[in-house]
Amino acid sequence: MNTRRAAIVGGNRIPFARSNGPYAHASNQDMLTATLDGLVARFGLQNERLGEVAAGAVLKHSRDFNLTRESVLGSRLSAETPAYDVQQACGTGLETTILVANKIELGQIESGVAAGVDTTSDAPIAVNEDLRAVLLEANRAKSVGARLKALAKIRPQQLVPSIPVNSEPRTGMSMGEHQAITTIEWGITREAQDELAAASHQHLAAAYDRGFLDDLITPYLGLSRDQNLRADSSVEKLGKLSPAFGKAFGDEATMTAGNSTPLTDGAAAVLLASDEWAAQHKLPVLAYFVDAETAAVDYVHGDRKEDGLLMAPVYAMPRLLQRNKLSFDDFDFIEIHEAFAGTVLATLNAWEDDDFCRRRLGLDGALGSVDRAKLNVNGSSLAAGHPFAATGGRIVASLAKMLHDNGGGRGLISICAAGGQGVVAILEA
Amino acid sequence: MPSLTAPPSLLPLYLKAAATGPLHRGGDSLPDSVYTLSDQRIDPAHLAAFQQVCGYRTSDVLPPTYLHILAFPLSVALMTEREFPFPMVGMVHVANSITLARAVRSAEQVSFTVRAADLRPHPAGRQFDLLAEATVDGEVVWTSRSTYLRRGKSTEKKDDAKRAELEPQQGAVSVLRVPGDIGRRYGGVSGDRNPIHLHNLTAKAFGFPSAIAHGMWLKARTLAALEGRLPDAYTAEVAFKLPVLLPATLSVSAAQQDDGWSLDVRGAKSGKPHLAGSVTVPAAPTSTPKDKAAATKKAPAKRAPRKKTA
Repeated sequence: MNTRRAAIVGGNRIPFARSNGPYAHASNQDMLTATLDGLVARFGLQNERLGEVAAGAVLKHSRDFNLTRESVLGSRLSAETPAYDVQQACGTGLETTILVANKIELGQIESGVAAGVDTTSDAPIAVNEDLRAVLLEANRAKSVGARLKALAKIRPQQLVPSIPVNSEPRTGMSMGEHQAITTIEWGITREAQDELAAASHQHLAAAYDRGFLDDLITPYLGLSRDQNLRADSSVEKLGKLSPAFGKAFGDEATMTAGNSTPLTDGAAAVLLASDEWAAQHKLPVLAYFVDAETAAVDYVHGDRKEDGLLMAPVYAMPRLLQRNKLSFDDFDFIEIHEAFAGTVLATLNAWEDDDFCRRRLGLDGALGSVDRAKLNVNGSSLAAGHPFAATGGRIVASLAKMLHDNGGGRGLISICAAGGQGVVAILEA
Repeated sequence: MPSLTAPPSLLPLYLKAAATGPLHRGGDSLPDSVYTLSDQRIDPAHLAAFQQVCGYRTSDVLPPTYLHILAFPLSVALMTEREFPFPMVGMVHVANSITLARAVRSAEQVSFTVRAADLRPHPAGRQFDLLAEATVDGEVVWTSRSTYLRRGKSTEKKDDAKRAELEPQQGAVSVLRVPGDIGRRYGGVSGDRNPIHLHNLTAKAFGFPSAIAHGMWLKARTLAALEGRLPDAYTAEVAFKLPVLLPATLSVSAAQQDDGWSLDVRGAKSGKPHLAGSVTVPAAPTSTPKDKAAATKKAPAKRAPRKKTA
């Protein structure tokens, strides 16, 4: 089968806001629509019929069953642009990029948008599970008497709503609690985590200062920079924070609010196209999508150290590199999503661990070391924040721009996701 | 021997247990009654309610402890017999072992037998087993051994050595939040409405600081957490340790072993043990896929009309 390359034309996102901050009243659809409109404005896509828009959100209201299509209908794109929703937890934004790129490569579409959005402020609240059961029973009842009999089962305590909890359904532990175990098992120090967090803030602040984000961001609701960014962040300041996760481990607890990503609201989108479409529309090509791989780990019953909730990218990466006959040294930029500083550092440690790589990755030795000078050079989620499904789009757009600005080269992306999943991808220019 | 076609009602048995408690004056033998209950149809709504309370997926496959609750009224009838040496109130369920020979489905009609066996000393009194067996068309599909303790004088020497320090829990650990009303919920679906499970006040009357979870609920919930990991045939053996005072947050470890899984449930903060046990998977499959298909097909055709009276 003949395939062609999928080009990354550019991206757009809104600044990421801290939970219950400036975007407290913005819904997923509000933010996604604004982000799509920013992309339309940047690339002159008004009334354009694109091949498709693929997007998703992790925390979603049931009324948003067609979130992406509804956002397209409200945007300035042609209403004839089809759309669909995707959800792969924090991997959503990168997974939609893979889907759109694959369709372009197969010649099924000429252009498309991959996007993601999440709000932790405007979160869905469901009715109490017991109340829901009673209401559904009443709804199924065929007579007034049967309906009243069902409704008579309503109790005052059922009026307490069910609020979404940030924990894995099968383990009852939040992502931070899971990562706290991984961080300890891999021997990641507090200092190393704080260094990574400080570097993330410093790099992102520098990127803003030199205008790198000017054509990647559209201001929204009074925000023009990521609200979480602390340009003056330092290891000393971060060192003063007390542990937020893994407190049960006492002195071993090293994860703080500073070296963990905060709950964030935001959206990000990427425009992909065939070379022909980009040329016809007189649009630039920043980079090309090359290949991707996903993996999953048994964090429920697997090994406490090696099958940690956020360890799946560790397993996806060697498969991707082998298929493309590449090693870390062949890349100019390496983007590892900073869910927690400990996640990045445990991932790097695993790839450098000879025994682990032989046993679990089936390699002849360690996968290799990532040159820190290539890692998250313009900052990542610790500084920008992490609206779950939006992170992939943020990283793809900025990495494509970095490769373009670099005059070419290769870039690698690694994103961990809830449910023990991980998505990794290669871009080149 | 009492042979039933419908399960005995539990409420009259409980009243009998309460009223006749003092009449059970010990003795050195168990009654040799064998209770049987034939050709029970499964009520899909009841099965779904049980699955929901225990954390199982709604499915046609019966959870192993679901068969336990179907056999439970026979156990109560046996323990409230005049000849039974101990009053039922105050008996402690200390262990349960279930062997599932194959998957049992809701379309099948299951017959049960229950008997008591093996009265023997326990360091804290005396213990005995209630042996239950479930058959489908004469084929044994499920067996269960529940061990009960009657506290009292013991002929067995107590182990004077201090309780050994517990090893840390093995493997990946999950957190399980147990709501305060789980005893009422499980009591509702299982019929086991022992007052120590239902409400703090009734539990206090029996010396517990609060309502406690049913041991068999905890076993069911722990097995349900192994969704997708267990074959159709296995033995799940657990010992019930300290009671789970409700509400509770538990730390559940299910670690893979060469022949199955080890189970270890403790208090998330206290670290106190609540349940310990194992799932043992037979080395060779007990039935070929062909047999299974035949068994599933056969079942509905053999459905016999239900007898009305005992």
